[in-house]
Amino acid sequence: MKKVFKSALRHPFAVMVLSLFTTVLAVLSVVSGFRMETNLDTYMPRTHPAFVFSDEADERFMIRDAILIAVEHPDSVFNPATLQKLIDIEEDLLALEGLSDARVNSIHTGDNILATDDGLDVRRFYTEAPADQEGADRIALAVRGNDMIAGRLVSGDERTALIILELPESGFSRDLYDQIQRIADDRSGPETLHIAGRPIVEGTLAALGPADMARMGPLVLLVITIVLLLVLRQVRRTIITMSVVVASTIWAFGLMSALGVPMYSVSIMIPVMLIAIGVAYAIHLYNQIDHFVRETPGASRREIAEDAITVISSPALFAALTTVAGFVSLVTSQVYPVKYFGLFTAFGVFASFMLTMLLVPAGIMAFGNRAVSKAASARNARAERLPEHGLGARFADALKAHPRLVYLATAILVAVSAFGISRVWINTSFLANFDSKSAIVRTDAFVNEHFGGTSSLNVILEAADPDTFKDPELLRLMDGLQTGALELENVGDTISLTTYLRRLHSSMNAADPAFDVIPDSSDLVAQYLLLYEMSGDPDNLWKVVDVDFKSANITIQMKSDDTRTIQRVIDYVDAQASEFARLGITIRYAGSGYKSLIFSDLILQGQMSSLGLSVLIVFILVSFMFRSLLLGAISTIPVLISIAVNFGVMGLLNVPLTTSTALISSIAVGIGVDYAIHLITHYREALRALGDEEKAARFSMSHTGRAVLLNAAIVISGFMVMVFSVFPPNRQVGLLVSLNMLTAFLATVTIMFMVLRSISPRLIKELQK
Amino acid sequence: MTALKRSILPVLLFGLAFAPGPGAQEKTALAIMTAVYERPQPSDMSATLTMTLVDSKGKERTRSLDQRLASFGGVDKKIMVFQSPADVRGTSFMNWSYAEAGKGDDQWIYMPALKRVKRITSDGKGGSFMGSDFSYDDLGARHPSVDSHVVLGSEILAGEECWMIESKPKGAGDSYSRTVSWISKNRLVGFKRDYYDKKGGLLKTLSVLETKPMGSYLMITRTEMHNVQTSHRTRMEFTAIKLDTGIADEQFSERAMTKGL
Repeated sequence: MKKVFKSALRHPFAVMVLSLFTTVLAVLSVVSGFRMETNLDTYMPRTHPAFVFSDEADERFMIRDAILIAVEHPDSVFNPATLQKLIDIEEDLLALEGLSDARVNSIHTGDNILATDDGLDVRRFYTEAPADQEGADRIALAVRGNDMIAGRLVSGDERTALIILELPESGFSRDLYDQIQRIADDRSGPETLHIAGRPIVEGTLAALGPADMARMGPLVLLVITIVLLLVLRQVRRTIITMSVVVASTIWAFGLMSALGVPMYSVSIMIPVMLIAIGVAYAIHLYNQIDHFVRETPGASRREIAEDAITVISSPALFAALTTVAGFVSLVTSQVYPVKYFGLFTAFGVFASFMLTMLLVPAGIMAFGNRAVSKAASARNARAERLPEHGLGARFADALKAHPRLVYLATAILVAVSAFGISRVWINTSFLANFDSKSAIVRTDAFVNEHFGGTSSLNVILEAADPDTFKDPELLRLMDGLQTGALELENVGDTISLTTYLRRLHSSMNAADPAFDVIPDSSDLVAQYLLLYEMSGDPDNLWKVVDVDFKSANITIQMKSDDTRTIQRVIDYVDAQASEFARLGITIRYAGSGYKSLIFSDLILQGQMSSLGLSVLIVFILVSFMFRSLLLGAISTIPVLISIAVNFGVMGLLNVPLTTSTALISSIAVGIGVDYAIHLITHYREALRALGDEEKAARFSMSHTGRAVLLNAAIVISGFMVMVFSVFPPNRQVGLLVSLNMLTAFLATVTIMFMVLRSISPRLIKELQK
Repeated sequence: MTALKRSILPVLLFGLAFAPGPGAQEKTALAIMTAVYERPQPSDMSATLTMTLVDSKGKERTRSLDQRLASFGGVDKKIMVFQSPADVRGTSFMNWSYAEAGKGDDQWIYMPALKRVKRITSDGKGGSFMGSDFSYDDLGARHPSVDSHVVLGSEILAGEECWMIESKPKGAGDSYSRTVSWISKNRLVGFKRDYYDKKGGLLKTLSVLETKPMGSYLMITRTEMHNVQTSHRTRMEFTAIKLDTGIADEQFSERAMTKGL
């Protein structure tokens, strides 16, 4: 590798032109074939058994994600104008492209099953809006008398009516969302229209995340440029370094585009990652160049460049490789966009390493190494002249003087983190991605306050034989399950076959509450259902039971989409599985809420496996680099501590694991170990050169410690920019990566450095061999 | 007794016709449709209907019921008694529909498990008939005057020369944007009808699979409705058909419902 970089020194302009040419090619590739993927379904691993079943059940029972439009009137929705408005909104919705086959549920479309003196009345509440208030009052009366509608399609206070729009296909576009929002705006007044439902949340999320990151990208670029100017103190060096990271970002996207991989919302983090991480190699190169120039006044351009390559290329290569490993470890994720994110960022990181090692020396060869400003050089010179007495050296001495303090502090930190880790929880709530004050969260809360809930879980019951779901014993068990579920926190409503049967049974018995139960005979069940098929809308029936009566679907509506709520319901249902098993019934789950839960398990598994993999690869790489398992192990100390602190802080601050926060720690392992690599390399070199442990420690801490500090400071300042994001997940990513870098840096220069020094006799012995 | 003209079980009426009609000569579209509508009908009928629902995966579900229908002074009366599946055997529906404008149908249900006749009032005529691909509207004979008709051309269908007639509703609020019917020139009987949805796409195709001459009538005994958008099919087969047997008014009573046909 060194030879390649050194031979490139002969043709600095060729290297620059070639880099530029490749970058132009990448730009062309991006321009010609770039594609944005906004369908969140692509995140789901389609072949996972739970997903396959859920998809099949969704098809069987026509389970669709629904958009909820709540029409709120200041007084009561039961007036001619509002009742007409419901019809108008429905017509507007169905006229939208792609929604003509959508199913609409509202008091306008719903059937009223009503007991009469001598039988049953099945008719719609209204087909045309009433002409006067009297007509509206009659509708109000009918709705009040029907507990399948009251509270479900009209709120208890009668001020809000719900239009449920079941989307014909999964997948929801930003465009559709905008159109629905426009309808809501047009139809507002005096009513207020609220739009909620999972597709809306997903649609907004898909649009907001990338938009936010697109704002963050340039901001990160700006901040890193300013920090580089401060650290490198040269416009030319800053331009070269920034060209490297910008080019590597373009290369990564160019490759993505050339391979036909679309842009996912997570890929939008690639530029931020590459800009913040990619500048590190240049920092170390320039640090060495400055050091060499001071030590060797009058050195030629070639000598300067060759020295920098000789000293830095090996640790930088391994630092790059470990970072690459951190990203590559994400391929263990079952979530494809995450895999792609890992692979292409890894490529970009390696590209920025190669470009740094080619372009920075090329810059020296072509333009020379312009001297740093006088004041800065004086400052540097002071620090460099007295490597054993500078801040770094004093820090090294202070560490040696108080070893117990360092060990104790580390132990306490790890213990507190361990406590925090025990409290880490996973959340796949889409809604949790928004600020609690955002319109989407408030709308959701509004609908949840007045209705059964915006999230749902489908409990799928399956039997071996046809007609099983006409058995009263089984139906009563289901009914009991539903009644009990309503007691759970955040469960607002349940609907199943039993809901219809109880309604039919009591309606056929003059609305006698004593008949609001499951009928006693399976024949009566069958006959009621035949009646419903003849007089009602049979499609409603096929949403709760299949035509063979071999399987049934209980929909449980929840007022929150967070993982704890869904898991609580599943635990509750699972606890009754044995009673159902006694009747030969198996219980499984379906619906988008359940898929999210499975998804969260996969995230956790993926998280754990990629974290383990990245630590392992880092250990192997560093051991190989130093030809020492012991040094390999020592280098993992900082990253292990930063992992512990990362999860500990998440647990303590109640930050859940999500798709974005789960990515962080394995990436952080790859980046965080870089500090250890640089410090160990130079400490060992100093031991060899100076022969004195004390001096070697002081020298490496002040010389390399400085570069590592600057490296960490730059990465942290880059990621801290994301704290200004309007989007909570992006804020969390920024904060957590920064935290990881800080912990890894601190652990490297304290505890790891002390452990390293404690084995110095062994190192000296090995060096002498 | 008046002839059955209205919508008691118009799948049959759609095709009920005498043997060769007078006109093989060209007629206007409206005249053809009116001639089909006004074919003489039997005054009463009883039959067994077997309805088979086939879903998109080819899974079949069968129901059979006995029915009788007759018309008495502007009131069309019908009783349907389910024979299978076993758990609904004996369940019967009685329907009286009135010629008088604006008067809704009267309906009763008898459930053997409940051992009681209950009255049902319902406006659920827009939806599907018993979960089949037939809507109640499809089963009803539509008066030719509510649509405007155009002869699109001629076509040979199953060896019969047919007019292709397009009918578009004159008013708003219909479930179809248009229908195209294949009417036999010889027998003035419909053999096929395509239904188009509101967006103008083909929704369903009704095909006549089998006809039988019975006395002076040509009875359609097997039909299939194919919903091309959902790939669902519904087949209806009529057996044990008896016509003009003089069914008495008393046969359409709550008592008749409880004891079966």
